[in-house]
Amino acid sequence: MEAEQFGQHISRSFNAELENLRNEVLRMGGMVENHLDMAIEAIVAGDSELGLTVAGQDHKINQMEVAIDEECNRILATRGPTATDLRLIVAVIKAITDLERVGDEAQKIGYLASHLASNQEPSGHYRELSELGEHVKKMLHDALDAFLRLDAKDALLVVEEDKLVDDEYDMILRQCISMMMEDSRTIRRFMDVSWAARALERIGDHAKNISEYVIYMVHGKDIRHLELDQVRQEMGVE
Amino acid sequence: MPQTRIKTVLPQLVILLIGGAIGALYGQILVGLLIASLGLLGWHSMQLFRLERWLRTGEIIKLPDGNGIWPRAFARIQYITERASRNRNNWRSLIKELRTSAKAFPDGGIILNSNHEIINYNKAARRMLGLKKKRDRGQRIDNLIRNPVFVSYLESDETRDGVDIPGLAGEDSWLSCRMIPYGPGQRLLLIRDITQRIKLERVRSDFVANASHELRTPLTVISGYLDALADDDQLPDAWAGPIKDMCQQAERMNLLVDDLLELSRLESSEPGSMETSVDVVELLRFLQKEILVIDEHPETIELRLDSQAKLLGEEAEIQSIAANLVFNAVRYTAPDGRVSIRWHVDDRGGHLTVEDTGMGIAPEDIPRVTERFFRADSGRDRRRGGTGLGLAIVKHALKRHDGELEIASSLGEGSKFVCHFPRSRLIVDE
Repeated sequence: MEAEQFGQHISRSFNAELENLRNEVLRMGGMVENHLDMAIEAIVAGDSELGLTVAGQDHKINQMEVAIDEECNRILATRGPTATDLRLIVAVIKAITDLERVGDEAQKIGYLASHLASNQEPSGHYRELSELGEHVKKMLHDALDAFLRLDAKDALLVVEEDKLVDDEYDMILRQCISMMMEDSRTIRRFMDVSWAARALERIGDHAKNISEYVIYMVHGKDIRHLELDQVRQEMGVE
Repeated sequence: MPQTRIKTVLPQLVILLIGGAIGALYGQILVGLLIASLGLLGWHSMQLFRLERWLRTGEIIKLPDGNGIWPRAFARIQYITERASRNRNNWRSLIKELRTSAKAFPDGGIILNSNHEIINYNKAARRMLGLKKKRDRGQRIDNLIRNPVFVSYLESDETRDGVDIPGLAGEDSWLSCRMIPYGPGQRLLLIRDITQRIKLERVRSDFVANASHELRTPLTVISGYLDALADDDQLPDAWAGPIKDMCQQAERMNLLVDDLLELSRLESSEPGSMETSVDVVELLRFLQKEILVIDEHPETIELRLDSQAKLLGEEAEIQSIAANLVFNAVRYTAPDGRVSIRWHVDDRGGHLTVEDTGMGIAPEDIPRVTERFFRADSGRDRRRGGTGLGLAIVKHALKRHDGELEIASSLGEGSKFVCHFPRSRLIVDE
């Protein structure tokens, strides 16, 4: 009788720990989303102060990553989780690495924004950058939502979305190259623009990774490096 | 009731008696009674079975007639069931109406419990936040709306003012969220789409900023030529007066444009930084000197510096707050009056007080004096100078430093303006 109560107690606090872990990841995600938002705003509006602010706040995200990582290690060591619980922990450890990288990319965009803004007023060329930014922002948002809801179908949609982001990136790159060929004085500026686009494209990849962890968490299947058709077949969706 | 009992019991007794009597004929009273009792028992059982089948299947049956206990029981049950179903229908239509009205509500509403978990939400909330139909019940709201500003608002338990967060609908969409507590631990989160409002505000402030900026260039040209003309010796004397007037008016317009630009900058930017400190004491001393060199100033300009505390903020803005208040006081005070300036610190924070013995403000005008271009009365003509934007600038600059403006005044006796700064913005080193 006593042993049973004890057991129940352990599982309850274990549940609370897992729940708390998930909340922390989403809180970190929220902060990353916020930074990305500000970074895109900074580069599109040519706000160098905002860019530097974003760049200067990246350490907060890093701290959260370290804290969550430690918590995961602690749970692994003390609880010895299995099955779904284990998959959750593994997915969390991977997801926070990706989130932290997104934070780094946002920091990079922040620096580029302050650099670009001090060079020249933003012009219409940043419209594509803004569109790409909105796109990856939505991807990251949807990936985190899928993580919250444990929704593999939504996660798969994010994975599929990545292809479009890659296409948009290619388009910006082509535009930059043609601009640079037209007027060699703009090379410096368009190098920065293409770096920013590159950072956004990488963020799309990280969002895709997070979605893949969600699918791993729900179905226990590792879909990395698989063709999309194959994934759909394995998951049993059209 | 006794009548019913008699009506129920009497026939049964009669049957028993008849059974007993028939038994007596054959010399077996007990057997006769037994058979009669068994018959009664069988009849009752049959009624019970009927009742059970009726309740179970709900099929419409012919209710037993008569006045006995069974027909009455059947009728009663039927009455209760009918009443219950009528009530249920009433409730249903009421709930349906409430649901429809909640659906029609243009603002989003989410009911939260004390753990920030979603209990229910309406259609507008679902649309604005991209929630999934029914599936997001039980999720924590701060996991869905992850914006750090919103999360800290949720945790602060501060319910007075809401927060504005960017919406999901992409660029420039904004939502205003406000928490309303009700019942034990339950809270209603109201969400409004304020994209249009933000857009309008931006258009307005952009317009003011651009218009002021565009006015500046022609103004510079005009003032330049006027200055040249004023210095020209060959100009007929008759023109000296008008040109002097024009110079003054051009100068006034310059000030106006500067103030408008300053105001639009204050409105559109983020709160003042906490990184630089402003030496209030030195700033006020300098201001006093500046006033004393003006030709026409009140007799006494008193400066009371009760504290050496410095203020965290933007130097230019603190300077602008103090200068606007002090020059206002000087402007409206007669030459034999006095203006006193005081800087002191107490438990609540730092206070900058500017007091004058000028004409004062009518009580009904006090709430309006910080509005743009508001003049307490038309008698206060524009000859005294000033752009009509000074107090609006003070108000906005103070707001950016988490401060508040307090105004006390009585007509004919003078006014008192106090700027309160919070403790968090003070550096006191004794």
